[in-house]
Amino acid sequence: MNVFAVPARRSRARGWWGMALFAATEATLFGTIFGTYVYLRFKAVHWPPDGIASPSITIPLVLTGVLLATSAPMQLASAAARSGRARRAQALLLLALVVQAGYFAMQLQRYADDVQAHPPQLSAYTSITQLMVGADHFHVFVGLLLNLFLLAKLMDGRVTAYRRTGVQAAALYWHVVNALTVVVVLLQLSPSL
Amino acid sequence: MTVLAPPVEERVELLDRIWEERPGVLGWLTTVDHKRIGLLFFFTSLAFFAAGGVEALVIRTQLAGPDQRLVGPQTFNELMTMHGTTMIFLFVVPMGLGAFGNYLVPLMLGARDLAFPRLNALSYWIFLASGLFIYTGLFVGQGPDQGWFSYVPLALKQFDPSLGPDFYALGLIFNGLSTTATAINLVTTIFKLRAPGMSLNRLPLFCYAQLAAAGSALILLPPLTLDLVLLELQRKAGFHFFDVAAGGSPMLWQHLFWLFGHPEVYLIVLPAFGITTSIIPTFAKRKMVAAPLVALAELLVAFIGFGVWAHHMFSTGMPTSALVFFAAATFMVVIPSTVQIYAWLFTVNLGRPEFRTPLLFVGAFIVFFVIGGLSGIMFAAIPFDQATTDTYFVVAHFHFIIFGAAVFPILGGMFYWFPKVTGRMYHEGWAKASFWLTFSGTALTFFPMHIAGLLGMPRRVYTYPHGLGWDGYNLAETIGGFILTAGLVLIAANLVFSRLRGAPAGPNPFRGPTLEWATSSPPPPYNFAVIPTVRSEYPGWDDEALFEDRRRLERGLGTYPDGHRQPEATVRDAYPDDVADMPSESGWPVAVAVLLSLMFALTLTSHFVAAGVVAGLAGLAAAAWLWKEPAE
Repeated sequence: MNVFAVPARRSRARGWWGMALFAATEATLFGTIFGTYVYLRFKAVHWPPDGIASPSITIPLVLTGVLLATSAPMQLASAAARSGRARRAQALLLLALVVQAGYFAMQLQRYADDVQAHPPQLSAYTSITQLMVGADHFHVFVGLLLNLFLLAKLMDGRVTAYRRTGVQAAALYWHVVNALTVVVVLLQLSPSL
Repeated sequence: MTVLAPPVEERVELLDRIWEERPGVLGWLTTVDHKRIGLLFFFTSLAFFAAGGVEALVIRTQLAGPDQRLVGPQTFNELMTMHGTTMIFLFVVPMGLGAFGNYLVPLMLGARDLAFPRLNALSYWIFLASGLFIYTGLFVGQGPDQGWFSYVPLALKQFDPSLGPDFYALGLIFNGLSTTATAINLVTTIFKLRAPGMSLNRLPLFCYAQLAAAGSALILLPPLTLDLVLLELQRKAGFHFFDVAAGGSPMLWQHLFWLFGHPEVYLIVLPAFGITTSIIPTFAKRKMVAAPLVALAELLVAFIGFGVWAHHMFSTGMPTSALVFFAAATFMVVIPSTVQIYAWLFTVNLGRPEFRTPLLFVGAFIVFFVIGGLSGIMFAAIPFDQATTDTYFVVAHFHFIIFGAAVFPILGGMFYWFPKVTGRMYHEGWAKASFWLTFSGTALTFFPMHIAGLLGMPRRVYTYPHGLGWDGYNLAETIGGFILTAGLVLIAANLVFSRLRGAPAGPNPFRGPTLEWATSSPPPPYNFAVIPTVRSEYPGWDDEALFEDRRRLERGLGTYPDGHRQPEATVRDAYPDDVADMPSESGWPVAVAVLLSLMFALTLTSHFVAAGVVAGLAGLAAAAWLWKEPAE
């Protein structure tokens, strides 16, 4: 049952609610990371401490814009799954995944360089900054795995109720991660803004 | 029971076949039935309760008189740390949400399981593994000894190079995963799996309390998790968060800890409030007075609870504006608690109360909660707090709340739902005797602590000299502790004996008003042969609706006989708009929990690459688990 055309339902499935609550608790986790960043910053005289250069602005902002844009294909994939169009959902997921993976590869490279140059063991500033940025990248990584899993599930060209909820939940996950990334990047760049 | 007409019998047998799980030990390892998982939570947290209780008895024996040397200072510190950590994280929370919430919420909603049954199983196995993980530290001689809130700098590597704080921090991160999973499960279940017609205004108050507790768990655990991650990063990887020299602050630990720690108190007492609001209408034989206000108060307590954390830090030298804000918020949180107390008292007063054991425990809860609440708002007076902080007055206060207000309803709830879970009645006379023992034992243990505290006795001392005026109070507390233990042992003996020899209870021995009483005792694996239709706040007292449900079973309506299925409903009105395919038993949750345990053990011993590899394997196992669709 539930093959191909799944009738539109009135309310969100329980899987979507599960993801929404998970995203809420993850967002709270990030909220406490942001609070820690601000707390440590207000305790410091110099932020960043003497001898550490302020972060550069342009590339992180551009990359964040690119990641943010993937919310569009994710949302469209969610709508496609809702109306039972497996191939369309798959194509949109693939489009999002390619962009997200490119973003992740570039960010990982930059992160590795930055940790090399400013190891977290240096000071509270580098500790909280690298932790915050690293946690954000990890959430992007988990999102990539989620999209890969859904692409594999949709290989046979069918949308079941289970898969439809999966795509909707993944789209929600990405919206939340993208929004959190904006805050992470703004805080990360705040010494230079 | 009435004799079933043949088609009804066939329908019930079909459901029995569909929902039957594997027998034996393997069945318990792979079960996804919320009732069996609830029982696993129950017995495991009870075992941890016993461990924490033994630790408390050693502590009390040591303090019975001055200058005692039953245990040395190091052992004492480990025991009091493990006592607090065990009671909070391994007993009260898993008992309230994991055992009571798990077992009862789907039954009260007229559902067949929690929203995510396999996640529920994972939650249990993680809880068990995390408890064993923390206790491993104690048994290998590296137990945490900083107290349950593990303040820095004491917990930093240069002051404690042992693995004690690592067992604590990693164990609690691990444990938090379990509570988070249970909380997501409970909230989703309450939102989506209510029986048709159970709109939000007909949701039982027990479920409102569970909703408030589970919802706040999702917000209060992240600060703790982050705090523990920061501690581990500093201890194991040389990050700087808590040392002033590198720009950190030890106050950061306290802020994050109490941002978790105070709402945690409400996470602990809210399920107890829920149990109370279930027991009182049954034995007062009337509806709860001001039920909407009680529901609102339960949610408000959870909400305001997030604004009071720094009253644990009044003596740390915060700015005056912060002190005043947190003092005001602390006064405010009293209001919704008081609304509930008056509602409970008026319900008993306006009903025809029958003082059976569950109601006695709930009455004692109200007494203890008022005492603990009154000593609690005294701390909102900042100078008083600064004078009594870190004395036994604080110990007295929070034991009245945590033991008196959280554990007493749990004990009452054990008697109240015993017939439902086992199908047999407990022995009323022995139950009343055990109540008076635990009641007087609790009062005698914890009340003199107020006085000892006002006389200046600091908390967490492993012994004290003679001649400070504390001797008599301490001796009384120790005697009280043993009376209390005798009461608890009597409760256990009564329940074990009644399980074997008790009289058959029937489906609804107390004439309870919620839906768990509308099914047989113990309930079948699918809970309800026909999904009930709800038309009032107290469906168990709605004989017409119960009769109609039986008629629908005869006509074969609402039994969902084609697989593990049940209706899924809209959030506000509980209008059924879809049919949910529920998963069947699975071995993957155990596998994931084992891999996660291995990951935490490798992290503990600083094998970070291996831990990463095992985390990857856990991810693969989770993918394999999710690959099979429930409908297949």
